[in-house]
Amino acid sequence: MDRRTFLKSALVAGAGAGLAPLLKIVPTVRAADAPSSTLAVTEGTDYGVLATRVIDALGGISGFVKPGHRVVVKPNIGWDRNPDQAATTHPDIVTAIIRLALAAGASQVQVFDYTCNEERRCYVNSGIQKAVESIGDSKVRCEFIDRRKFVPMTIEKGKSITKWDFYKDAIDADCYINVPIAKNHGISKLTLGMKNCMGVIGGNRGQIHFSIGQRLADLNYVLRPELTIIDATRILVDNGPQGGSLDDVRVKNTVIASRDIVAADAYATTLFGMKPEDIGSTVAGYQLGLGEMDLDKIRIVRA
Amino acid sequence: MAKRSRRKLGWVRAGVQTLALLVFFWLFRITDYNGSDNLPAAVNWLFRLDPLSALSAILASRAWIPMMIPALVIAIATIVLGRFFCGWLCPLGALLDLFHRLFPHKQSGAVPKQGIPGYLILAGLLATSLFGLNLTGLLNPFSILVRGLTLGVDPVFHRYVTSLFTVLYLHAPSWITVWTEPLYRMLRDTVLPFRQVYFALAFTSTALLVSVFILERFSRRYWCRMICPAGALFSLLSRFSLLRGSGGGACGACEACRSVCRTGAIDERRAISSEACVLCMDCLDVCPRDFVRFGFRRPRERHAAVDVPRRALIGATLTGLIAPGLLAIRAPAGAIPPGRIRPPGAIPEPDFLARCVRCGECMKVCPGNALHPALVQAGPEGLFTPVLLPRAGYCEFNCTLCGQVCPTGAIRTLTQDEKHRTVIGLAWFDKNRCLPHALGTPCIVCEEHCPTPDKAIKFHEVSVPGQEGLVKQPYVVPELCIGCGICETKCPLPGPAAVHVQAVGEGIINRGA
Repeated sequence: MDRRTFLKSALVAGAGAGLAPLLKIVPTVRAADAPSSTLAVTEGTDYGVLATRVIDALGGISGFVKPGHRVVVKPNIGWDRNPDQAATTHPDIVTAIIRLALAAGASQVQVFDYTCNEERRCYVNSGIQKAVESIGDSKVRCEFIDRRKFVPMTIEKGKSITKWDFYKDAIDADCYINVPIAKNHGISKLTLGMKNCMGVIGGNRGQIHFSIGQRLADLNYVLRPELTIIDATRILVDNGPQGGSLDDVRVKNTVIASRDIVAADAYATTLFGMKPEDIGSTVAGYQLGLGEMDLDKIRIVRA
Repeated sequence: MAKRSRRKLGWVRAGVQTLALLVFFWLFRITDYNGSDNLPAAVNWLFRLDPLSALSAILASRAWIPMMIPALVIAIATIVLGRFFCGWLCPLGALLDLFHRLFPHKQSGAVPKQGIPGYLILAGLLATSLFGLNLTGLLNPFSILVRGLTLGVDPVFHRYVTSLFTVLYLHAPSWITVWTEPLYRMLRDTVLPFRQVYFALAFTSTALLVSVFILERFSRRYWCRMICPAGALFSLLSRFSLLRGSGGGACGACEACRSVCRTGAIDERRAISSEACVLCMDCLDVCPRDFVRFGFRRPRERHAAVDVPRRALIGATLTGLIAPGLLAIRAPAGAIPPGRIRPPGAIPEPDFLARCVRCGECMKVCPGNALHPALVQAGPEGLFTPVLLPRAGYCEFNCTLCGQVCPTGAIRTLTQDEKHRTVIGLAWFDKNRCLPHALGTPCIVCEEHCPTPDKAIKFHEVSVPGQEGLVKQPYVVPELCIGCGICETKCPLPGPAAVHVQAVGEGIINRGA
């Protein structure tokens, strides 16, 4: 049962009971979804090209998006900051991924994030809304979070949290592409692929901080992105995750991609001069079986 | 003059009135973040046209407010034409007329004539303003209208519409939602506000607006004739108006004009009071023998002016002086109440109270739903003035909209750079409740959200007994904190936050950034 059919049946059952459904998810690791722990990394200054290159290095977009798929591209649009300030995913990377998904036959591409600052300001200042709309395809929608769409789900193997509200469209997608930006963060040290799931969960999100590493792993146990593409073209090295001063921005011109979210995070950590084991969510994710954190065991393709 | 062309004049008035109401609602709706940092137009135009807001703010602040020049134009036009504003442009008047049309009540005889209380209220409010305290916003009809709509009617409208579509979305079969969801999207893009907002004093503000409509049940334009201080000011100016209506003389005694007059402006002799007449032109339409005329020639029959008793006028004026005096002798004078967190760009408090007309526009436009009408936070003199309630919402770092919509300059328009450095408060930690301090639990959501480029909330890494590793305990750097309140809004503790923003006074510019 994939996420989509599962959710539909659960919603119907919930509606029938007249109560908010408490969903259970039993992840069935399909052969194609098994973490291959291959990672692609590339450098350059045309950020859209970089995104295309890393996806090609992983076998091309057709390995992820099938004709008719409903695709979610989930960038970090969390803050009212402009692209130079390196708090949000670069719009060129977002649009390059969308164009590939469309070319692969996606029936619909949704872009959204549950922002921290006022959502309209974030969508505008990040440049993402305008960039996505400029694609001019009715299949592509840059949407604000619709609060009706959070559904409670059980996290079967969760160690710190066992249930949480998830965004229906994210869970429901045929292909969920996770597109975080790599940056400094006070409590988790870095915010990378696994932390980007904060933008598709509801509830009292601040409480995730109480045990951030484990809780992020628990959340990602449900979410399971098909592909994680980390924007490390500009990284914030201090005063993250929203920054604001260009003094804290380092230009790395790097994009990283993998099916394995833990591997992607592990590699991105090295750009900050840290080790994978320094990041709690990476360790917890590895222990939960979400992916590989040992860089020696990851096949790294330089595209 | 042919009867038909006159009828057209009545329709023209109704058309203009409707158009003005629609423009008002349109301005109300666009008083919101629109994707740009600059708002080209807002509902503040209503206040910029209002002579009462202008006069009271100028009297109280003893400053010329250039933004208010349109109000001067309206005042001069009133001296020429009379109380046309009330009959042609006023959105509240239009709503009252619409209300009467929807819920007509049987009325015996003519509407009572212009009353005295409005003049007394006006005298009292202007006396208060003269001594530096502007309380007109409490009873200004435009403030009552915009406040009632902003704080109560609009959020309730959104609530009901959204609830309906949410129920359908969650429980209706797909052959229904396939229609209702696009309809809901269309409504969201057009008439619905962007998000559900929540306001302090929602009930009080709405009740005040509703009571104006309840008064309409007693007789037509009851509010406008008896209480409205803006109407009283228009009346006063209209005493000298050049355009005059006249009827009577050799006409019969059909009373058609008197019974149709919404403001009781026509007396037994069919003389028309320029103080009361709102130039609705209904009498022109109904007069069977075309005796009613409007022109710049002095009519033969003069309507007696409203005679305000001198003692009452003196009494009202003296009453108006009580409040400013009481404020001056209050203890502890000069102390800043901790909850009086004014919007960024608010001018120092005495000047702020001189100018603020309590219209609620800053609250309407605030994208963080952070600005709320004060109940007690700013003292009794500050009722309905804007304060930041940081547990409810925070001030967006890059936003300068409240200053842009303020019609009187009580909130200055800041550049984004000025805004980044404007201090409205200071955050204080409650270490007895803050999780990393009290329990050693990791948290620092406050630090994550702190928007200053050099964060005003930093942390010490401390070894806590019973906790593995080091715990990050937050603290505030006062030199960097601007008091935006996001730390208090986002604090994940249930109930009161463990970090509180308190007022520090207005007009302080941070040296940082």
